[in-house]
Amino acid sequence: MLGHCAVMKEEVMKKRPLVLTICLSVILLMGVPMTASGAPEAIHIGATVSQTGHFSSEIGPFKRLMIAWADIVNEQGGIMVKEYNKRLPVKFTVYDDKSDQATAKKYYERLVTVDKVHILLGPYSSPLTFGASTAGENHQVPFIAICANSPKIYTRGFEWIVAVIDIGPRYTYRYWEMVKNQGVAKSVSFVVEDTIHPLGVFKGSQKLSQEAGLTVLSSDVVPAKTRDFTPIITKLKEKNPDIVYVSSNIPFAINFMKQAKEMSLNPREYHCIHHSGVFRDPLGGTAEGVVGQSYWVEGMKLGDTKLITDVLKRADISEPMYPWSPAYVAAFQIVQAAIEKAGTLDNKVLMDNLKGLKLDTVLGEAYFHETGYGSINTYPSQIQDGKYKIIYPPEVATGKHIYPRAVWK
Amino acid sequence: MPPDLIQLLVGGILLGGIYGLAAFGLSITFGVLNVLNLAHGEFLMLGALMGYVLFTAFGLNPFISAMAVIPIFIIAGIGFYFLLLRPISEKPPHQLLVASILVTLGASLIIEDLTAFFWERPVTGIAYSLPPLELAGVVVSSTRFLILMFIFFLAFSLQLYLQKTYVGKSIRGITQCLEGAKVVGIPIVFVSALTFGLGVALAASAGVFYVTLFTVTPIMGIPLSVKYMCIVVLGGLGSLVGSVVGGLILGVAESFTAYFIGAEWSPTIAFILLILILIVKPEGLFGKKE
Repeated sequence: MLGHCAVMKEEVMKKRPLVLTICLSVILLMGVPMTASGAPEAIHIGATVSQTGHFSSEIGPFKRLMIAWADIVNEQGGIMVKEYNKRLPVKFTVYDDKSDQATAKKYYERLVTVDKVHILLGPYSSPLTFGASTAGENHQVPFIAICANSPKIYTRGFEWIVAVIDIGPRYTYRYWEMVKNQGVAKSVSFVVEDTIHPLGVFKGSQKLSQEAGLTVLSSDVVPAKTRDFTPIITKLKEKNPDIVYVSSNIPFAINFMKQAKEMSLNPREYHCIHHSGVFRDPLGGTAEGVVGQSYWVEGMKLGDTKLITDVLKRADISEPMYPWSPAYVAAFQIVQAAIEKAGTLDNKVLMDNLKGLKLDTVLGEAYFHETGYGSINTYPSQIQDGKYKIIYPPEVATGKHIYPRAVWK
Repeated sequence: MPPDLIQLLVGGILLGGIYGLAAFGLSITFGVLNVLNLAHGEFLMLGALMGYVLFTAFGLNPFISAMAVIPIFIIAGIGFYFLLLRPISEKPPHQLLVASILVTLGASLIIEDLTAFFWERPVTGIAYSLPPLELAGVVVSSTRFLILMFIFFLAFSLQLYLQKTYVGKSIRGITQCLEGAKVVGIPIVFVSALTFGLGVALAASAGVFYVTLFTVTPIMGIPLSVKYMCIVVLGGLGSLVGSVVGGLILGVAESFTAYFIGAEWSPTIAFILLILILIVKPEGLFGKKE
């Protein structure tokens, strides 16, 4: 009997590694949030939002936007994933990148390695996206850049990135197309904020304006924190251009416009590339007639207006105050369409389907160029009676271009 | 003088006036308390936000708001002093200076992050402007001109306060000799707290003008504090006249640099001027030799 027991003990001891392996596998499997069919509990999307730091003024509350969209999708039962033959809910993990490139990069690494997300939505701005997108590339997780249009991001040979929007140098191509078609303006002067996105837009616009037949009278690249524009405005008065084109972020443009009015600088048109309620409200009447770029304005005959209004309403975000919010809604649509088309959450299949995607979003047709940058671009809009009107092209326009603007007395 | 140059000169002086007012508060705080307040720019930002609220909610004219914020921020400044600076005020001068930098920097970061979190408005500014004045081909912003006049009025009133009142004389007494002030019975703690409150209130008042002319964001405070510190060192640490003159010099220098050399060199000029002054006159333009 004792001998039999000893044999059994020996056998158990021999099989010990195998038993341990089975036990560990069971424990590990229990730890992974999967259902009986092997499907994950949710489609896990990772992102950062600049809730603090200098971009917080532009996208601070956008975590609400993500949650609002997820709630809408989840109320409809989730997103269909054929592989599991069921609809899966959407879940977000969002960190505050503090508007800092290093912090964004750190959190995107965490999203991939610790949180194990299925797909990444990019942070706000080109500099942050430039740093953060390496996480997607290194770990082969699909990365959808949203508001990041510096060509530098898309010339690194990255395979795991696509972007919602078109590249910066083409940011105002529709405006120059309109100017060329109208043929009234003859000269332009550029005032440029010395940061990555405005510089990119300026470089493209300088070329596009010349192609539109305009003479470039001056180009002043000015530090972002400039408060006193007296020297620039004094020069512009001497040059007397038809168009003063301000390629900058909103605070810079507001400060410039305020002083331009204080010093009675009266070109026939002001173009400020970024304008919105944030631009209009502090300027009041000074903003009247200013042309700029908008992705979407209310009343525009473009895309699924209901989705934008539902998401914005639920998130309690006002589009005129946060003009980049529609681009995020377009990104959500891209995520949904890519997963539905792929029918799986497998990284490679998902990425391949993303690259080949073509769909109508809230901002028009979205597709991706070979290097990853997107197709969605802005439309020229003008502030008329305090409201934003899309002025070109005619098929989506909500108002007519007023040129020249009313002179300040 | 060609109109362009006059235009630049006028523009620089008008800008320098705002610099001067904000630097004034920083200088007075350093002169009396030996405290380098790195949260100074945050109080300017908070004053600007209050100016915005008073303008949008109550339609209050910025010039009235600039006066209205003074008593509120004197109280806030006194509270700040008792909460954060009083506990370190007995330290030896050099330790106090270092400790005050650390304490006010910490406070600055807290104020900045809390404001960014609670103040959801992306960029703040108010739509207030007056028709420009045109004199012999030179266009002068009447808003900036009135602000400059207001600043001169405020500086003159403060000077009178320092010359004629008991508290004012006490402030000057402490600036000249702390030990002597103690000997003659000046209530050091009370005067110090009030002085800090006054410095903070001047920053807040400058903030109201700031939001009238420029945009304001919750994270603008620290870079402004650094700039105003340059002005204070330029004018002479603790010298009130020096901070106003330093502000005007910097405003004009920035304007001319941007026009003749290039706008990208304009922010650098503050530091170039600072280095030059420190080489030629280490105590600053109006500072006293140790």
